[in-house]
Amino acid sequence: MDKKFLICAGNEYTYSQLIDDINTKGNFNPYIYINDNNPYWIFLSIIHSLIYNYSIEILDGDFSDTELKEVGVDTKVFSNYENITNRVKIDDYNSLLDKILMSKDWSLSLYTSGTTGRPKKVTHTLKTLTRNVKIGERFKCNVWAFAYNPTHIAGLQVFFQALLNQNTIVYTFSGQQKNLSDLIQKYQITNVSATSTFYRNVFPYLQGNIYKSVKRVTFGGEKYDPSLENKIKMIFPNVLIRNIYASTEAGSLFVANGENFEIPESIRDFVRINEANELLIHKSLLGNSDSFTLEGDWFNTGDIVYQLDSNHFNFISRKSDVVNVGGYKVNPLEVENTLIKVEGVIDLVVKSKKNKVTGEILVVDVVKDENYDEMELKKNLKRYATKHLQEWKVPRIIKFIEEIPRTRTGKKVRK
Amino acid sequence: MTRKVAMIINEMLEESGLEKVDNVNLSMSLRDDFNLDSLMLAELTVRLEDEFGVDIFEDGIVTTFGEVIEKLERK
Repeated sequence: MDKKFLICAGNEYTYSQLIDDINTKGNFNPYIYINDNNPYWIFLSIIHSLIYNYSIEILDGDFSDTELKEVGVDTKVFSNYENITNRVKIDDYNSLLDKILMSKDWSLSLYTSGTTGRPKKVTHTLKTLTRNVKIGERFKCNVWAFAYNPTHIAGLQVFFQALLNQNTIVYTFSGQQKNLSDLIQKYQITNVSATSTFYRNVFPYLQGNIYKSVKRVTFGGEKYDPSLENKIKMIFPNVLIRNIYASTEAGSLFVANGENFEIPESIRDFVRINEANELLIHKSLLGNSDSFTLEGDWFNTGDIVYQLDSNHFNFISRKSDVVNVGGYKVNPLEVENTLIKVEGVIDLVVKSKKNKVTGEILVVDVVKDENYDEMELKKNLKRYATKHLQEWKVPRIIKFIEEIPRTRTGKKVRK
Repeated sequence: MTRKVAMIINEMLEESGLEKVDNVNLSMSLRDDFNLDSLMLAELTVRLEDEFGVDIFEDGIVTTFGEVIEKLERK
């Protein structure tokens, strides 16, 4: 039977079709900027560039003309196609894989989310992008629920993991969430990789059902939310939960069982935690960029961690996220992880508001379950916060909103 | 104005599970009569600024309900 490569919005693309389309494609554009981020065309373009060994730059299809201008890309380049002179013919998946792995000078550039200033371009080799990709017999039968933007680092990680094992990818991002239950059953999905936000938003569609096919659930792209673990285990009884630390700058680096990240043996000399508990990564682990600010040979991730022992750490917060309330430092993530447990809360983002009395105070924007009364929920939130948090960590003002704004790579906007 | 500000303070108290204050007069102390601590005062200034666009602590300390109203009305 012809193995399926991608299922997306009701369309099924097989590996044979993918290979045919690659064989037919006689020209290319080094800029990949695809309307609606159609995953088939993005994946096809990436594979094509690997086969013909030319470097590419991936731009989020959501980029507006202004954003493109900001990152220095002139839209005229999108119509400049080059012809391939020495066409090759791929016969089957194995020759496709050989060709991909032979690709030497290939690189892929993409942009950071720009939470601190304008997006920065980072260039990766196949080696840095696939650092944690595992290939082998035991991965052959995996079927992936693909729940990331395909132009972002987390999406690329899942894409390579699936492609290099000839797995099927079921696209569940961007409007496909409500179909997840049907898709899991129809395609017997084994692996789900998504952000905490994605899991929170699909629970209402999955609750009450049990999906035995799912063997592994991975969290990536944003802070792991341990309060989701029990719910996930009820819905997916056979599941193993993993948590990935990856960044646009360095690709995938650490994997955690629960909240304890392990620094793998192979990169132990290239990871450091300084006196201020900031996580530093040696430049050799990074992609290339003109925009990195290095401290000697080290890149400061801006992530505050807690060192458990020489090879393990917990993620605490982003340095830029720390709020100062009357001299007390508050990590908004801690507050979010506490308040998400309050019944009726679907999602929330904790932010700060400046004032002359305490410098800053915490406020929180909440997406609530429609069945809950606003005043009752406000009272419950404050009561719960007062009981479980120090008083300066209690958000003072609670607002209800429809949706939490996010940066392109899925981080909550705390402005 | 007096009613609106009293409403904002009472809403704050209610959300925090505290007793509302019924009979409000201008000489009442924010700290002693309304029982607002500094975090609640900070909260009040943010709420008032959202509502009226005025920072009541901008030029010094306010201690009574009347002073708050005065600051808001002056703008």
